Amino acid sequence: MTETACFHGAEPILSAKNVEIKFNLRGKVLTAVRGASLDLYPGETLAIVGESGCGKSVFTKSFIGMLDKNGSVTGGQILYRGEDLTQYTTEAEWLRIRGKKIAMVFQDPMTSLNPVRTIGEQITEVITWHFGTEHEQAKREAVNLLKRVGITDAESRYRQYPGEFSGGMRQRVVIAAAIACRPEILICDEPTTALDVTVQAQILQLIRRLQKELNMTVVYITHDLGVVANVADRVSVMYAGQIIEHGTVHEIFQQPAHPYTKALLRSLPQLGVKGHALYSINGTPPNLFKEIAGDAFAPRNPEAMEIDFEQEPPSFPLSETHWAKTWLLHPYAREYRAALDERDFHIHEQRQPEQAFDYSGNPEKLLQVRDLSVRFKLAGKEFSAVDHVNFDVYKGETLSLVGESGSGKTTIGRAIMRIYQSNVTGQILYKGRPITGKLDKETVRRLRMEMQMIFQDPMASLNERAKVDYIISEGLYNYHLYKNKADRNRKVAEIMDEVGLSKDFSSRFPHEFSGGQRQRIGIARSLVMNPDFIVADEPISALDVSIRAQVINLLNKLKRERGLTYLFIAHDLSVVRFISDRIAVINKGRIVELAACEELFRHPLHPYTKALLSAVPYPDPDTERDKNPLVYDRRMHNYDADKPQWVEIVPGHFVLGNGEELALYRKEIEAS
Amino acid sequence: MEQEKRPNALLDPLKFRAAVYDQIRSEDAGFSNYSYWRSTLRTFFKSKAVVLLVGVVILLILMSVFYPIFSDVDPTRISRLPLEWNLRPSREHWFGTDTLGRDIWARAWYGVRNSFLLGFAIACSDVGFGTIAGALWGYNKKLDPFMIELYNIMTNIPSTVYLVLLAYIMNTSYLTLFISMASRGWIVEARFFRNRILSLRDSEYNIASKCLGTSMRRIAFRNIIPHIISLIIMEAALCIPYSIGAEVFMGFVGVGMPVDAITLGNIVNQGRASFTLHPYQMLLPSGILCLITVAFYVIGNKFADASDPRNHV
Repeated sequence: MTETACFHGAEPILSAKNVEIKFNLRGKVLTAVRGASLDLYPGETLAIVGESGCGKSVFTKSFIGMLDKNGSVTGGQILYRGEDLTQYTTEAEWLRIRGKKIAMVFQDPMTSLNPVRTIGEQITEVITWHFGTEHEQAKREAVNLLKRVGITDAESRYRQYPGEFSGGMRQRVVIAAAIACRPEILICDEPTTALDVTVQAQILQLIRRLQKELNMTVVYITHDLGVVANVADRVSVMYAGQIIEHGTVHEIFQQPAHPYTKALLRSLPQLGVKGHALYSINGTPPNLFKEIAGDAFAPRNPEAMEIDFEQEPPSFPLSETHWAKTWLLHPYAREYRAALDERDFHIHEQRQPEQAFDYSGNPEKLLQVRDLSVRFKLAGKEFSAVDHVNFDVYKGETLSLVGESGSGKTTIGRAIMRIYQSNVTGQILYKGRPITGKLDKETVRRLRMEMQMIFQDPMASLNERAKVDYIISEGLYNYHLYKNKADRNRKVAEIMDEVGLSKDFSSRFPHEFSGGQRQRIGIARSLVMNPDFIVADEPISALDVSIRAQVINLLNKLKRERGLTYLFIAHDLSVVRFISDRIAVINKGRIVELAACEELFRHPLHPYTKALLSAVPYPDPDTERDKNPLVYDRRMHNYDADKPQWVEIVPGHFVLGNGEELALYRKEIEAS
Repeated sequence: MEQEKRPNALLDPLKFRAAVYDQIRSEDAGFSNYSYWRSTLRTFFKSKAVVLLVGVVILLILMSVFYPIFSDVDPTRISRLPLEWNLRPSREHWFGTDTLGRDIWARAWYGVRNSFLLGFAIACSDVGFGTIAGALWGYNKKLDPFMIELYNIMTNIPSTVYLVLLAYIMNTSYLTLFISMASRGWIVEARFFRNRILSLRDSEYNIASKCLGTSMRRIAFRNIIPHIISLIIMEAALCIPYSIGAEVFMGFVGVGMPVDAITLGNIVNQGRASFTLHPYQMLLPSGILCLITVAFYVIGNKFADASDPRNHV
């Protein structure tokens, strides 16, 4: 698949030179893109990587004139086939390019589709609008397009509304509309971020197939390095509005030169060693309202040199296709660089994975879930979000619940936290005592102190109108867990220190913090109650790669120091593998498999687990290219006659299946 | 930009060594200075019309408060001399006198004061009861079917019919007027707040408070009210011109206040009676009425726009 790697003989189709983009925001000027350059060659796939707020989206949006009203290109050139797009002023000019030559696919398919018009109409409209095709003809073409993007039964699907499609299907429709005009360049802005892993793999395959068929140039904007390894020929790393490193995918993954690229790669949990802290980058990308001197990454880079704070580095070539903007490549820095490499090598050598959690000594069961079901009413119909789920959580372990959106994993967490009550059946025992149904005040009080929850979205889980001090002390106020004001202040300061926040921050409001910092405030809020058991509901899925590492490290540190037990809810298997002792895989409200972490990765039995594992993106271009994700379809089970059972197939390894399937699984285990 | 910063021959080799790593500085890079209320007020006062209208409203309120205190003109004093009836505007009577020789300028300010008081009272009761009822309605799913029916019934009866009927049954007085308007206005507000509170109720930060065992009262005061306070202000601002307008209308159809009460409704109504002969009598009261209505509507709407964070550009 790397045959497209030789494109340098060709002329670039699009070439952006020193593009500078400024926004007027609340009376101040924000320089979102500070002189970024880029060449796009026919047929290639380029990935632009970086944290959120680095200007990746803004940069590519300027290629099709879709900047927000308060922004404009203030410098540089964007040459498309010799024409400078920055000179365009009217919509009419842009419409010659936008959609027709350069098309864009956005992260959330719902924002690009009109919910009150049928899928077919929307695609047909694109065709008639751009080519003036008559209606019947356009309709036929639209149906063909839908077939082409892998929508079965396209004729009847043509008449359906976006609401009747699943997330992945909607994204296919958006792609169909985007390729309707046979564009030369397709820009995909985080096309799979909002989708589940298995669907994500399918969409990436689809885009790759279409690219070959239509000979398009594809630009991916993403923060997921697994996706990059999967799709890209070349990679541009963007930071603070500049492209700081550029090279082929192998060069970037194997010989990253810029400290930021190295840091991004090193903070991936896939490459971490269990039991050791992940490499993490402190802080957030710089505030682009301010003038940036020197290397923008320097303040966050513990290995920065003095020169990095003073002068902006030029780009140094490493090979014909690889260059990076860092002073480390300057001849003067040779010695310093060698010293760094030496040290990194040693650190990596010494790391041994920690001992796995010991289940042999009959550990205490902290939480027991028996036949838990949660039912919801939706539009008059009742359905089970969680369906007869059984599992135990041992004291001191991390049990992960992994599943796709809508699988009921969050519902289980919330049922345990007693947020849902009337619609919960089954039993939940905490320290051997039931915690469902009506409880006396004293028990509830004790539970509230011993069990805490960490939430998914750090933006939504903090009260915007309260100061950090209040947010963290909320639990203390509720149960009067302090002697006097000074005692409370001391407790807040201690906990803030423990999660790595300066205590001066306590008088600030949540909006003054970055996502990672906010998540740490959320963790501090639960920790101040001194809990034993924490339900962590996707605590890192809304965070950037580099910030994820901070939070993962914090959670692991707290587990070690305080002996916490976690129920970790996640959809990202790579993270789960790094932090959990056992994993439960959940699909449509039922746990289908539960095993110790390494056991599950080595011997997955249930077809859904296998599909999930095959779809996990891995940040290595060689393994990614050859992978062929499995597809799981629930209809493969025949449960009419033979009901599935929850069986411990080998000690510690549970799986859901009927008699026939279980026999098959047993055989599989023996064979391995 | 890149060209200017080409490496020059004068680079100092000594600079290529490890710099001191500042932990605090690395954490503090992306600090936003956004503040909700500051941005709301800035967006609000950006429009010149708003500044002008807020000034006008303040002036009107000040006049209606201080005029009755400091003036020695009795607005109810009826003159027995026909010579003093229906006087044109003069130095002594700035806006003339009405059919009974009462000074219109003085009456107007007393009227504005009374109408404002009525308007504020109704705004307070509508928005106050509306918020409380809306909060209960939003938080308690069992109330939903009952409240929706009640809402449908109350809003489907044309408001004018209802107002006229109530005012007709009871004796005309401030209290009647207040009851007839307040008994109905709250449910519209309740529904509005119910929708807002419903969306706040299930947001993650409220669930977090629940997990921490926060009491209902604290959730209401710390988590809910601060988020809807701007809506409360806006709704109250829109309620005032509506109530004043309703009072004028009731006066117009003859079921408003007793004739001896001084309200904007009565003054406009009396002016209307002699409009063909003495049109100037209506000039001041209806001018002020228009000003109040327009000012509050514009202010309320602009505030609603300004309080939406999406408009904080």
